Amino acid sequence: MGYILRKVVLFIITLWAAITLVFILPRLMPGSPVDAALGKLASAGVPITNAERAAIEAQLGAPHTSLLAQYGDYWNSIATLRFGTSYSFPSQTVAHTIGVALPWTVFLVGTTTVLAFIIGTLLGVYAGWHRAKLADSSVTIGATFFGAFPPFWLGLLLLYWLSFKYGWFPIKGGYDPGTTPNWSLSFVGDALYHSVLPGLTLAITTLSGWVFGMRNNMINTLGEDYVTFAEANGLRSRTVAMLYAARNALLPNVTAFGLALGALIGGTVLVEGVYSYPGVGNLLYLAVTNHDFPLMQALFLVITLSMLVAIFIVDLLYVRLDPRVRSST
Amino acid sequence: MRSLSRTRAAAVSACAVAVLAAGASACSNNSPGNSAGSSSGGGTLTIQGDAGNPTLVENFNPLSSAELGGTRLIYAPLETVSSVNGGYTPFLATGYKFTSPTTLVYTIRQGVQWSDGTPLTPADVVFTFDLLKKHTALDANGIWSQVTAVSAAGSNVTFTFKAPDVPFAATIAQTPIVPKHIWSTVANPVTFTNTHPVGDGPFMLGSFAPTQYTLTKNTKYWGASKIAPSSVVFPAQSTSQSTNQLDVSSGQFDWAYQFLPDIQRTYVNRDPATNHYWFPPGGTIGLYLNLTQAPYNNVNFRQGISLALNRATIAKKAVNGYMPAASTSGIILPNEQQWLSPSLPDQGMVSQNIPAAMAAFAKAGYKLSGGKLVGPNGTQATMTIVQPNNFTDWVAAATEISTELGKVGIKVSLDEPQYAQYSQTTQSGTFNAAMGGFGGTGIPYNDYNLALNSTYAAPVHTPTANNFERYSNPAVNQALATLAATTSPSAEKQATDRLETMMYQNLPIVLLYYGGSWGIFSTKHFTGWPSASDPYTLPTPYNYALLTVVTHLVKA
Repeated sequence: MGYILRKVVLFIITLWAAITLVFILPRLMPGSPVDAALGKLASAGVPITNAERAAIEAQLGAPHTSLLAQYGDYWNSIATLRFGTSYSFPSQTVAHTIGVALPWTVFLVGTTTVLAFIIGTLLGVYAGWHRAKLADSSVTIGATFFGAFPPFWLGLLLLYWLSFKYGWFPIKGGYDPGTTPNWSLSFVGDALYHSVLPGLTLAITTLSGWVFGMRNNMINTLGEDYVTFAEANGLRSRTVAMLYAARNALLPNVTAFGLALGALIGGTVLVEGVYSYPGVGNLLYLAVTNHDFPLMQALFLVITLSMLVAIFIVDLLYVRLDPRVRSST
Repeated sequence: MRSLSRTRAAAVSACAVAVLAAGASACSNNSPGNSAGSSSGGGTLTIQGDAGNPTLVENFNPLSSAELGGTRLIYAPLETVSSVNGGYTPFLATGYKFTSPTTLVYTIRQGVQWSDGTPLTPADVVFTFDLLKKHTALDANGIWSQVTAVSAAGSNVTFTFKAPDVPFAATIAQTPIVPKHIWSTVANPVTFTNTHPVGDGPFMLGSFAPTQYTLTKNTKYWGASKIAPSSVVFPAQSTSQSTNQLDVSSGQFDWAYQFLPDIQRTYVNRDPATNHYWFPPGGTIGLYLNLTQAPYNNVNFRQGISLALNRATIAKKAVNGYMPAASTSGIILPNEQQWLSPSLPDQGMVSQNIPAAMAAFAKAGYKLSGGKLVGPNGTQATMTIVQPNNFTDWVAAATEISTELGKVGIKVSLDEPQYAQYSQTTQSGTFNAAMGGFGGTGIPYNDYNLALNSTYAAPVHTPTANNFERYSNPAVNQALATLAATTSPSAEKQATDRLETMMYQNLPIVLLYYGGSWGIFSTKHFTGWPSASDPYTLPTPYNYALLTVVTHLVKA
């Protein structure tokens, strides 16, 4: 299996490059973690004095070791899966902090990505099959319209009308303030209720990508000889659309779906921000504004890994989906 | 300095403003927030809490810099000090006196108990200050840069200073006190998160959840009978200011600190009987010029800049007309009216005067030539103004400044990095010009000392958070030293007058407009909020004003 071996080697090289970049990038940001902590205090109204600065330097124990030594520590922390102590959550391990936020994002963005993929792809098949008819133009125009909304802006609109004005949904949070996450029925229900608007926002704004991708692939595929041949043989149009055209048109969308699933761990910083959703997107925002190197490194690592793994899985899946890949090995 | 707080205020996203302004007056949604009114006693007080993204960090260590805001209701200090006028409200102490300019004696209240029933003694106070000495990471107010010894005798605690520093009493007063019998066994008080706090304040920790915590009344508090609320709830804020604006506007808080555009329509009109606000000035925002660089080190050039600016327009663009142009004396009006020097023309206000500005520039050797202000070496005067990109009022002010200075021929560019880079650039002294906050402690000495004392003016590339414009003037230092050493009101007033005059004439900082304190209240459950007619402290729940206000409330 030369194909798989090649993919594995490529995966390992990419992984090393990504891990190293994750180390370098945060350190290229101007300003130190101490400066960022002062900014946080300034925003919270604390007067900034030299005494404050000295105390924070002492608290953070700002890194004085060389970059190379920090790089070594970093590899060590990856090997042991202990990412040190974050500046933002000093009383928790980084792994714990991420572990608390991750399920929320996986659930919210995962569900909406799968839903948007299925609905969008089906709509794309439908529009492509009925190309240049009323059905096609209404789907295309609708998708263009909703796809053009910046997610945070749509989020604000929904928040203003449905939460603020009519009070149908809560204004902020992933669950009722005052409750602690647990598996009770009432909590799960409450969490689902809180996730309706953010989920809707993400679904609406991501739907159009799937629609267009699938519609265009469909139209290309419909021009193929074997489709004409199938039609000429008098197969039911439904069979032609789904099994002959859509089956082949789906391939590029599957790649995109893998990428989207990989990217979902990164969360959606702006949407999670607008709804104050307790996910990874908000955590990432916090880590970056605080110059929280340990947290940032661990988060970027998780994001990169999930992306690489998703790509890897899609690559392997292709062997099953596309016989041409198999034969070329 | 607290002036920076308007940042949250200011992080206004234009869309929310538009949405709010367009719709809120038509909104009929009423506030469901506060159904939790307790049957026993005063009911629940809901205060907009700390930013919690994605969750709050459980930390009730009052000596840490990362504690949750409600910690200030659990740990009362000796006294709280109003940032409006420096007035004291006694808590653990009944009062203080200077027996000499370097000896401060606080008298500790008798019969005070910790919330676990243990008596609170002066030994606890001494223990707390010794803890700060042992762990510099906890001494964020620099107590031990000024104090050399703390000792107890009877009900008194005596602080010995290195040098006379009368205004430092306020810093000592607002240090939270912790119980010796618990903290003496804490292995590392710096990282200690104190999740079961035992305090001396009017409230105790009731419950903590990731996005909200609740305090309940401490029945052992010495003044418990006068505390109106039976519990205080702090729901976490969002990272998104637009979301916070909707949240506050929906009326679910008894007390919020939030910039709201067009507050009459977006908040007050939604329930005019109970919805109130008080937006007093909380500091002065100014243009800091790097005094180690030419031509900014030339006082005539600074005069030119000051005269070329239309402060009223800048204030209007920056803070929606909530705040007026500032006195360039450094005095916050009307808060500190009693300190204003009568010899300053027009209360130290400076109006735009282009001919006078050009005359001042000419004295500095700069003349207008072909629309450009050209210096002695034949090149155009330039300036890059740096400000954090999320402080939108500063960004708006700087944009207006750049337009106005452009009209007198100065080439201005704006640099809007994240706060961390702003902090690094300004503190290391590698900037041209920067937006920054001045004052706001309520104590003129502290305001002037932090901003102007040349002992803070570190060499360029050595970071300093104070006097980062690097001003050096022996006359100012001398006035500050006089002010630090005197306990006589008339000598205090004289020295402050001198500082105001030097500020006005030398313009070490080109002060522009007042930064607001955005206090938003509901009188539905409690009254007694600070207001223009009763300005006992600033409406800032993020410092010890929280304790002052909450103990001041009366059930509605």
